[in-house]
Formats: sequence, C-alpha cells, structure tokens
Amino acid sequence: MRSIQRTFPLFVTALLLAVGIVQLTIGYGEVRQASRSVADRRLRFVDSVLVDLFRSSQQRGRITALAKDSAIVAFLRSGGQRGREQALAALRRITLDTATNARLELRDFSGRVLLSTGRFALGDSVLVSPGADSARFGPLIRRDTVLFFGVAAATPGTEQSSGGATEQAGGIVQQIGHLQLNERTRRSLTGLAGGDVAFLFGNAAGDPWTDFASIVPAPPANVRDSHTPTRYERGEAKRVIAMAVPGTPWMVATELPTRLIVAPAQAYLLNMAPIAALIVILGTLIAWWGSRRLTAPLVGVTRAAEAIASGDLAQRVPPGRDDELGRLAQSFNTMAEQVSRSHHHLEAQVAQRTKALEGTNAELESFSYSVSHDLRAPLRAIHGFARILLEDHHAKLDPEAQRLLGVIDQNTRRMGQLIDDLLAFSRLGRTDLTTGPVDMKELARLVADDVQRAESDRNGSLEIRIDPLPPARGDRGLLRQVISNLMLNAAKFTRGRPSARIEVGSHPNGDEVVYYVKDNGAGFDARYADKLFGVFQRLHSAEEFDGTGVGLAIVKRIVQRHGGRVWAEGAVNQGATFYFTLPGEER
Amino acid sequence: MSPHGVDILLVEDNANDAELTLRALKQRNLANQVHVCRDGAEAMDFFSNGAGPVPKVVLLDLKLPKVDGLEVLRRLKGDARTKAIPIVVLTSSREEPDIERAYALGANSYIVKPVDFEAFARAVSDVGLYWLLLNHPPQ
Repeated sequence: MRSIQRTFPLFVTALLLAVGIVQLTIGYGEVRQASRSVADRRLRFVDSVLVDLFRSSQQRGRITALAKDSAIVAFLRSGGQRGREQALAALRRITLDTATNARLELRDFSGRVLLSTGRFALGDSVLVSPGADSARFGPLIRRDTVLFFGVAAATPGTEQSSGGATEQAGGIVQQIGHLQLNERTRRSLTGLAGGDVAFLFGNAAGDPWTDFASIVPAPPANVRDSHTPTRYERGEAKRVIAMAVPGTPWMVATELPTRLIVAPAQAYLLNMAPIAALIVILGTLIAWWGSRRLTAPLVGVTRAAEAIASGDLAQRVPPGRDDELGRLAQSFNTMAEQVSRSHHHLEAQVAQRTKALEGTNAELESFSYSVSHDLRAPLRAIHGFARILLEDHHAKLDPEAQRLLGVIDQNTRRMGQLIDDLLAFSRLGRTDLTTGPVDMKELARLVADDVQRAESDRNGSLEIRIDPLPPARGDRGLLRQVISNLMLNAAKFTRGRPSARIEVGSHPNGDEVVYYVKDNGAGFDARYADKLFGVFQRLHSAEEFDGTGVGLAIVKRIVQRHGGRVWAEGAVNQGATFYFTLPGEER
Repeated sequence: MSPHGVDILLVEDNANDAELTLRALKQRNLANQVHVCRDGAEAMDFFSNGAGPVPKVVLLDLKLPKVDGLEVLRRLKGDARTKAIPIVVLTSSREEPDIERAYALGANSYIVKPVDFEAFARAVSDVGLYWLLLNHPPQ
C-alpha cells in the first residue's frame, strides 16, 4: 500500500541526495580546474625561468668576446704562426674562471685545430657553424652518459689578398662544455621550483634529453611541438609544458604528476562527502519526523474510516488539535455520528418492515390454509353428491341430465387439481431450501422411470435418452420436481407422435451449468415463449393437452430460488427444448 | 350410535363430508358401528365417561369447532387409557406443518381427503378395512 508517511521522507532523501551529488560533482570539477590552472601557471613560470637561465648563458658572451680578443685574432689571422703564447694566455684566462670543465679550441676555417686547452677532445669536427657577430650554441651531443654542447664564434671577418686570391683570414673559437648530470643538480633545480616539479632538457629536434640526473628518452613529438599543457605518460600520468630556448636548438620541459594536480580535488571530495552524507541523513530524519507528525492524525482518521467502512460504526477519532487536522478529525467525527444515526434509523426501519412482512406472510399462510381446507370441502361435496346422484338415481335421469352431471364431475375434478397446483406453487415461495450435493444423472433416471411407467399405455414408442449430467448443489426434492415437470411436459406434448423422443443433457457455461430437456413433440409458437413460465399460462387448449398451467411456473420458481434461469426454444410441430441453469457444484 | 359397540369414531364437523364418509364405509359394509361427533368437545365427551366403548379407530378431522382436532389428538394420545387407540387424521389440509404436528402428537396415519369422490371413497374404505380387519390392536 502506498503511504504518504513513507513516500514523503523518501522523496526528501532523494532530493537531498541529488543536490549533494550535483554539488560535489560541480565542486570537484571546479577545484580540479583551479588546481590545474595553478599547476599550468607554475609550469610555465618555471619553464620561463629555465629558458632565461639557458639563454642568458655567460658562455655565449665570453666566446663572443674571445673571438674578438686581439691576441687570438692575431694568432688566427697568422694561421697559427705567430702569437701562440699570447693566444694561449688569453684562452687560459678564460678557462681559469669557467666552472665547467670545458675545452677551448682555436681552429682555422677549414676546421683544423690550431690550439686547444682543457679536456674532452671530441674529434676534429666543428660542432657549431659559428656565428659571425656572436657565439652560437650547437645541439646537445651524447657520449655514453655525458651530454656535451658546443659554443662557437668566428673572428671578425678580414680579407687578405695574397697573390690575387682572396682568402679568409681568421678562424673559429669553439668551446665544448658538458652538463653536470647528477642527482644533486637535479635536486637543487627541483628545490628551486618547489618539490614535485620535474625538469627536462634536451634538443628541440629530439634525443638526447636529460632530467639533469641522467639521460632520459625525449618527450614525444606532440609534447615538444605543442608548447601548451599536454598530458603524457612517463612512469605515471604527467602534465607537461615544453618551451624552446630562443637562440639555441634546445628546449626545456617542466612536468608535474597528474595525481598531484588532482589531489586537491580529491581532498575536497574526501572532506565534503561526509558533510554531504550528514546533511542527507539529517534531512531524512527531519523529513521522517515531520511527515510522521503531519500524517499521524491522518492515519488516525484513515483507520477510523476503515473501521467504519467494515462495520464498526462506534469508531471515532481522538480530537485535540486546533489546526486543519484537528478540524478534519472533528468533522470526521460529526460525519461518523450522522452515519451511525442514519444506520440505526435504517436498521429500525428494516426491523419494522420485516415485522410487517412477517405479519403479511403469516396472513398469507393462514389464507392458503383456508383455501386448502375450506375450498376443497365444498368442492368435494359437489363432486361426491353429483356422483351419488349418478350412481343411485341413474334410472330416473334422462341422458341429457346424465351428461350435465358428467360436466359437473369433470369441472370439479379440474378445480380440485387447480387448487392443489396453486397451493403447491405458493408453498414453494415459503419453504426453506435444504441444499446438498445432488446427482442430477441419477435424478433424471429415476424421473425417466416414473415417466415411462405413467406413459405405459400410450400409443407409439417413447424413448428417453439421458446424457451424462454434472452433479449440482441444491434441494434434491425440488430439483426432482423440476426434472419431473419438464419430462412429464415433454411426454405430454409428444403423445401424438408414433416415435416420441426425450433427450436430457447439459453443457457448462462459465460458472454455471445449463441443463436441458428436449423433445420432438408439438412444440410451441416461439412468439409466446416468454408466456410459457407464467402461472395459468397455457399455449394449448385443454382439449388438445390437459394441465393447469402451473407446472412450468413451478419449474421457474424452483430454479430461481436456486439462483438459476429458465428459458425455452421451440417451433410449432418441431419440438421444444426447455433449459435451466444451476450454479456449478464447486460453489 | 350403538350402545353395544363402536368400531369407528368419526369426528367431522362438515355434514357433507360425514355423509360421504359414511356412504363410502357403507359400500364396504363397515358402517354398522360408526359413531359421529360434530366437534372436538363432543369427541372428548365420548371418552370422558370412562366406561364408554372403545373404538377400533378414530377418524379425526383437524379443523373442528370448539376443540381443535390437533388438541383432541394431543389429549387422547396423552391419556394412558386412550393412547393405544389408533387415530387416523382425515383432513383437507396438506400443509406440511399440520402433517408434522399430527405425527409428532402420535397420529397413526395422515390422510388428505381427495376432492375426487372415487378417490375419497377408496381412501376412506381402505382406511376402514385396514384398521378394522387387518390391524391387531393390543388386547
């Protein structure tokens, strides 16, 4: 059963849950968005710091300056022939105050090394095509676990003519540096930007890359190309921003694990979810309490109404509130009072009418008793004395007088029969039914035997066929009378037939059973079918077929008292079928 | 009204019925010792002097003036001296309550008077024959 008392708190709970879920979802999304943009700003900032760091490298200025140093320019212009000591001294000056364990090389334009200091001889190649005005950085180069890079500058261009051919006088100053890759470097860089950020550094074009502690694979091309926040996997999901170092072939990338970005949003969820749950629970409790408070009086009224509906008219609702619910209880009680009063009034009336009816019934009883007794006595006297006249004074009566006495005789007999039938019919309405299971087939067979015996002197054959009949529930004696009346009727109206046939059968029809008695006798005009079952209604003259016209009325009354129906089908000279229904035996 | 002996006591208020009954009995030669009472009181008087003759059968109508037939039946069957006398209720009523009460009071038979005279005569003479000739009352 649906109940407001239950559905209202459920509704409130559902509403609060929905609001809570929406609130948490939106909050989570916003916190995540905020922490993502904070992370992006931080990554970009760190990127730009790094880029500045690499771009403003002092090495470039130093090499540019070195390429313009007069001693070196002189040494290189002489093709390494003169001023070697001075050049070396200039180189040493620089080498001494550079922290990187670099190598400085002076080469001529064909790449031949004229002079060098420091470690890391990487061969004869010029690593960078030197810039004319300022030094240029070359791409990172990897040798095993070490990353190198070159910085190179050319001496200011001077043309010398020697024997008609113009040749470039001067050379290249190249420094080869290497990156300090160790955990300390990485950690000190990381410390600069705050714990969880990782830095990557490498060639914009691809490998090699480093995280300043070791060589790492280059980030995928999409990371390197996009310059916008990108997600990628390196051990775990990371958010990364790459930025090219202007004026160099290098690139920096700063990354942050996604989990750290999402962490605040998750923390928000973790903090807010219990609060939301608490609100939902509190809301549910309040709604439950409120709906109980609101519906408890309604439940009282409902219970009282149900009690009254099931017959307990004394039921009332306890009053005691002065709001709408209190007024409802009050008007309910008033209504119940009125219902109760009119019910008692009705009962009194019914009792009064019943008493009146009982009186009428008793009067009817004594009336029919009088009819039974007092009407028959004079009739018997008429008949008796007419017979005595015929028997004792036969000789003195002429034939006409005898015929007239015969008429009296006939009519008194008929009157007696009418009285008997009428009494039987009126008795049917008054006697109680004694119901029980009735074997209809056996009953039909007994009646058939009676009918055959009564019709033993008829002209022509009489065949009675009885189909299997389902048992019924009813008054055995009265049901026997039904079958008997119908079969006697059938026998009567087939009397003229040389081979008369009566058929008793049945078929189920929903909850009831239809029984029928069918004959091939005189039949009747179907137009008067509804008159067949009326008292004293006859469709044939007394000369054709005898009878008082009460038999079928009795059949109808008995069947109706069993809760069934009767009807008939037939046509003149084509037989008749009389149907009656009885409730199925299961009931 | 023979002082010497009464075979049949007929209690019947309707003179016509009484005559028809007597005639039916006469046809079987059973009418010699029939005593007729015209109401219930007369019937009770018949038995009240104690030393009176004891009939072999009483034919009792139910609807009687003064004392009702059922009352007569109740008193006769309730009296030790008369309760052995066979009483046949001979009445026009075929009402079930009458039949039940008559048998409950101890009636030995219950005959509904047919309207048809032949049937009536046959019933009366059969009853007379049975109770006078065939039945053996206790001595």
